[in-house]
Amino acid sequence: MNNGHVPHIVLVDDEEMVLTSIRAFLSLETDYDVATYSNPAEAVRHLTSRPVDVVVTDYLMPQMTGLDLLRKAKEAQPSAARILLTGHADKQSAIQAINEVGLYQYLEKPWDNAQLLLVINSAIERTRLLRLLEDKVLALDAAHGQIKEAQRRLIKAFL
Amino acid sequence: MEELAAQIEALREELAETNKKLNEAYRLIALGRLVAGVVHEINNPIGSIVSNNEVSLRALDALKQRLEEARAAGEPPPQKALDMVATLSSLAGVDRIACDRISAVVRSLKTFARPGEDSVRSISLNDLLRDTAKLVDCQYRRRITLELQLGELPEVECHPHLLSQVFLNIMVNAAQAIENEGKITVVSRLIPPDEVEVAISDTGKGIAPEHRARIFQAGFTTKPMGVGTGLGLALSRKIVERTHGGSIWFESEPGRGTTFYIRLPLKAPRPAPDENAPEDTGRRSD
Repeated sequence: MNNGHVPHIVLVDDEEMVLTSIRAFLSLETDYDVATYSNPAEAVRHLTSRPVDVVVTDYLMPQMTGLDLLRKAKEAQPSAARILLTGHADKQSAIQAINEVGLYQYLEKPWDNAQLLLVINSAIERTRLLRLLEDKVLALDAAHGQIKEAQRRLIKAFL
Repeated sequence: MEELAAQIEALREELAETNKKLNEAYRLIALGRLVAGVVHEINNPIGSIVSNNEVSLRALDALKQRLEEARAAGEPPPQKALDMVATLSSLAGVDRIACDRISAVVRSLKTFARPGEDSVRSISLNDLLRDTAKLVDCQYRRRITLELQLGELPEVECHPHLLSQVFLNIMVNAAQAIENEGKITVVSRLIPPDEVEVAISDTGKGIAPEHRARIFQAGFTTKPMGVGTGLGLALSRKIVERTHGGSIWFESEPGRGTTFYIRLPLKAPRPAPDENAPEDTGRRSD
């Protein structure tokens, strides 16, 4: 999106039809790099191997719940935005997701393409800003270290 | 004396009516328990169809424009246009699957959605089992494998509405008896010359020996409040034995699972069912 960075989205749902539909929609509307997984364990492997901007996952899946997947996503890539897209309209799971995995958005199926795109776009922007902030903090830390070092040398030179 | 007989008859009718309402209420409770699964089952295909339709319309517009531009320039269709055709074709395939899935769920629901219908009809018992299993599968398929082993059966004269309620009740019980992952197997077979048998097995926790004698009694349940009504098996037994002249029993091994057997005559007994007498005892409950 910025500086030639193509946002990378990971989409997880045990239903191939959902993956096909959303992938087709995103490929028509955006230039995002979209990886889709019907097996959450494979999605976790992906999350531990390359940087991801946004993870969108279903909640009820046979091998692993969306909540468990997002927990692992948070461990592997804390700055990637986490979105739950679920047909399981359960307030308890929504609250748990928000509290436990720092959910960015909770969307219900059947989804609305315009809303989904809006949420994904703002999630990408959030991830970008978060990473920018991380870089600035690192740069500040480094600058702070340099100042301390210069200060130490100055004191040494005068004493 | 005549007055007393009339009073008894009025009471019998009232009791029959109450029983009918009880049946109806239980049917709705059983169905209500599956609503979350049905909603989930339908949400994905609906989401896909709506999304695909929107994408298809926009892609067709873009496709038309690109093809017209190529034609005006006397060039072959651009690669992007060919990609769009491939995408549209895959979306049409998804729509077909999605529609089939919604149709299957709606057909299964229709089996239950005719309140008050209790007429005798000749039907395919295997179709009834398939429709019922579909509903149960919607709710539990993420943790339970449901296998159907349906033998070749002639049509069975029965009250389809009531029997589907029996099958639904036993399959849901089976699913609830499985704590984590497991399997439910539904087997149907002909018992010559004039009976059919349905066996519904689960790999659940089994029925404790001390509960077996009471399992068919109205009001008896081992499930938590809000999960079990204690009416399911009592009503099921009444429907199988009194309404259809069949039999229902079970075999269970704690820790390994339970199998419920339902045996029915091919022809419904005459006269029409007696809806009275709600009491139950565990006659064939091991």
